[in-house]
Amino acid sequence: MSDTGFFQKLPRALPGLALIVITMVVIRQWIEPWMGNAVVFGTKGWLIKVTHLNYILLGIIMGMLYRNVFFGGKMPEILSDGFKLSRLMIKTGIILLGSLYTFNAIVQLGSMAVFLIGGFVVLTIIMVLWFGTLLGLDRSMIGVMANALSICGVTAAVATSPGVEAKASHVAYAIATILGFGILTMFISPFIGHALGLTDLQYGAWIGTGILNSGQVLAAALAFNPNVAPGTAVSVAEIWNIMRVISIPFAVFAVTVWYWSGKVGMEGAERKGLGTLLVEKFPVFVIGFLGMVFLTSMGAFGDVGLKGGPPASETIKMMRLWMTWIFGFGLIGLGGYIDFKELRQAGGAPLKLGLIVGVTKYVLALVVVFLIKDYLVAI
Amino acid sequence: MEFKKIVVAVDGSDASQEALNYAVDLARQSNAALTGLFIIDGGWSDYIGNDWQSPQNVRQEFLDYIHKEQEQQAEAARQQFESVVDGIKYCKFTVLAGDPIEKLIKTANAVDTDLFIVGQRVFQVSGRPSLRALGKRLAAKATRPLMLFP
Repeated sequence: MSDTGFFQKLPRALPGLALIVITMVVIRQWIEPWMGNAVVFGTKGWLIKVTHLNYILLGIIMGMLYRNVFFGGKMPEILSDGFKLSRLMIKTGIILLGSLYTFNAIVQLGSMAVFLIGGFVVLTIIMVLWFGTLLGLDRSMIGVMANALSICGVTAAVATSPGVEAKASHVAYAIATILGFGILTMFISPFIGHALGLTDLQYGAWIGTGILNSGQVLAAALAFNPNVAPGTAVSVAEIWNIMRVISIPFAVFAVTVWYWSGKVGMEGAERKGLGTLLVEKFPVFVIGFLGMVFLTSMGAFGDVGLKGGPPASETIKMMRLWMTWIFGFGLIGLGGYIDFKELRQAGGAPLKLGLIVGVTKYVLALVVVFLIKDYLVAI
Repeated sequence: MEFKKIVVAVDGSDASQEALNYAVDLARQSNAALTGLFIIDGGWSDYIGNDWQSPQNVRQEFLDYIHKEQEQQAEAARQQFESVVDGIKYCKFTVLAGDPIEKLIKTANAVDTDLFIVGQRVFQVSGRPSLRALGKRLAAKATRPLMLFP
């Protein structure tokens, strides 16, 4: 892996970045407006009203098409550095997303998120440990699946694998299962959300809890409502997601303790304490996000535009516009990392476990959101 | 048909044993040079590309961990190969890095490969799900003699 700095990498990233930017400009300037005006089955805008396709989902679809159709299953070398920057773009977008909240709003939303996320993480881990053992899965595989299904999908699998001595093939099948499920739920959730008449808050809370992988949480939120403002689906879902991310070091610690407690022979075992895991695995962008919340609360960017308050300042409006573009660019890039060859071959016990637990979590999260909807308070 | 160079994919597991045994027998009978081949999968960074949240050090720790596991598998493959090649005059074991299917297709189609022998489940022990389709893709892309074992 190259250890050259960002600015040295930038020229190599330009072709991929250019493709991403051009694609999103074409989608937003021509394709989306055309879809909004096209008359299909006698209805103007049918393509958007019924399919709920917007620039976010179209961007992901284009990313997937680039990789799997136009480039024959692999990103060409010349484009790969640009597509790698999608991770940085999304992190930047999430940091900027901090400008949607004041500390009061974060405390209000965060306390609801802690309750839901905490409960679901613990329940999902217990469920995976039980079902995984029942299905006769390898202990290390159960450990990886427990965190991947309970927290942040691929991110959690990556964080957990070394600590539970997961085999490469186990991790690979876990990731394929999580991604497959995540992509499916990313496309169907906006339909379900609109069909059930969910509010942005209910929808954000549901998908922030029920969708397995973070990239797909972001996409599903923006697919439901592409607006980036306080109280929209993305502003809620991402608070839920940040709660999930923060819980990664704790969940890695818990699952690692479980793994080693049942293992005979501890030779070569390298176990890390919770303090070390917190330092090593804590995602730095969360600090950036909180920094942005602090600056927003201090009024550094003017009024936020909360419900019932003064309208958002021009600076805040401009930042929100940037965010829509940054997320759009980033999600084209993430789409470019979805490989149909891998997803097609996912199977076996990991798929069974993933489907059982994933569907249960997805449905249960919706039921719980319905049950507590009177307690969910809009910001 | 006379074979001067036979290449066999070896991964240190049961998945490659039958193909390896056959390759060794054939190399002895035809006095051919035999190459055992293991491929360290270089596609993992791309495979976890959907993870945008992990800090760089966590990603790197994961990639190093997977690489180390694959090096151990390569060592197991080497031992598996060396345990059965007694009496073959020209034999060597090679470890390549990159996309396993691409490397296998390139090896199968090399002009100096007279016969490429592969077990269809090879490399699944340390690989990504797409390797399950390895036999099918090799059969579709090979332009030189290829022998696939179940």
